[in-house]
Amino acid sequence: MAGTSPALVAGREADAAAAAAVKALQAAGEHAEARERYAELVARHQRRASRIAYHYLRDGAEADEAVQDAFVKAYQHLGSFREELPFDVWFTRILINGCLDRIKARTRRERWLVPMTGRAGTSPDGGPAERDMTERVPAGGLSPEAQLLGRERRREIAAALAKLPERQRSVFVLSHVEGRTSREVSALTGLNESTVRVHLFRAIRKLRALLAADARTAVGEQKGKRRVTS
Amino acid sequence: MSLLERLGRGHLTDAQFAKYWADDKVEGVPHPHLAACEACRVRYEAFERWVDGIGDELRDEADEAFAGERLAAQQAQIVRRLETLERPARVLRFPKAARAVISGHSHARRWVTVAAAAGLLAGLSLAQIVPLHHAVAGHRTIQGEPVLTASDARELSHEIVFTTSQSDDELLSDAFTRSHQGALGALDDMTPHVRDIVDTSK
Repeated sequence: MAGTSPALVAGREADAAAAAAVKALQAAGEHAEARERYAELVARHQRRASRIAYHYLRDGAEADEAVQDAFVKAYQHLGSFREELPFDVWFTRILINGCLDRIKARTRRERWLVPMTGRAGTSPDGGPAERDMTERVPAGGLSPEAQLLGRERRREIAAALAKLPERQRSVFVLSHVEGRTSREVSALTGLNESTVRVHLFRAIRKLRALLAADARTAVGEQKGKRRVTS
Repeated sequence: MSLLERLGRGHLTDAQFAKYWADDKVEGVPHPHLAACEACRVRYEAFERWVDGIGDELRDEADEAFAGERLAAQQAQIVRRLETLERPARVLRFPKAARAVISGHSHARRWVTVAAAAGLLAGLSLAQIVPLHHAVAGHRTIQGEPVLTASDARELSHEIVFTTSQSDDELLSDAFTRSHQGALGALDDMTPHVRDIVDTSK
């Protein structure tokens, strides 16, 4: 996990200044300028927000909508933002709540829908993880075999991540993928710092077990194929 | 941590690696066993690469899903949505309906229409109450009869009273005494009577 680097501190100071400026412009009724200043904040946090939303929702289009909604909501409620908390933490909290609401809505929807076997975007274990994995073309410059292996590895990781309980997954993504400290993850998720660490430890242990099991299964399948062909 | 681990006699498990990675490492506490045991240090480094690899894979995957163009489009969409927040929602006016023929032009026309409708209703309801067909039939019967003068009516009423009070014989014998039947006397003289036939046969 990454600590609080000087670049991060500088970024947060810039965020706080921009947020304060937007708030003042909103209060003065200068909405066009407020939007311009807010666009700076959007540009700075957009990629990270999209990553988080994508890891929560596992669907590009839905993650896109969730990010948009979160930025719009943050702009509307910027008046309630207090500088004692970093802007990115406050904003990420809004984003995560939005993502969780969407997951709940999706679960309710799926309860009433008949699952289609072989439907695009549904993994064998029921999650929508596989669609984006298999359809996506990895960065150029790799051989087809390397691309295939990379795709397969990502599929395995995504499937294993999808099997984690929600809290463990959130903590793992925020602390390891997004490089948040335990304190920040605690502020984002509302969990105790020590609980965050416990969840992180359990997430790693479970991922290790799941991916090792996948690797064993893959090795077993390869051996089986060899026997059949020989 | 057990004494054996501290002394390097037992090797660390994956779970212990995970715990150290998630907890102790963050706090900057060096692991005594890792410092002492070369094999575990190598294994731990592999473990760390594995965990970092997962993070890299997940980041790359998300970054591929959100390429530069998509992020630019997303930002433009956010700005558009923010702009629409400040504009009050436009309410589309419902198209004006065609004016009704009755309404509008003149009050007189409206009153005439209302009066006609009221008259029609009143007529219909009156027709339900009063049996008009009987009245119409009676009127037709009166029109078909000859008109009587006052003297004729008196005479007729007298005759009616008379005829109803006398017997048939009286009516026949009394027929010659009526003044208006005197014109028939000549015809009566030419006609043989029953009494004359009876007398001659005797």
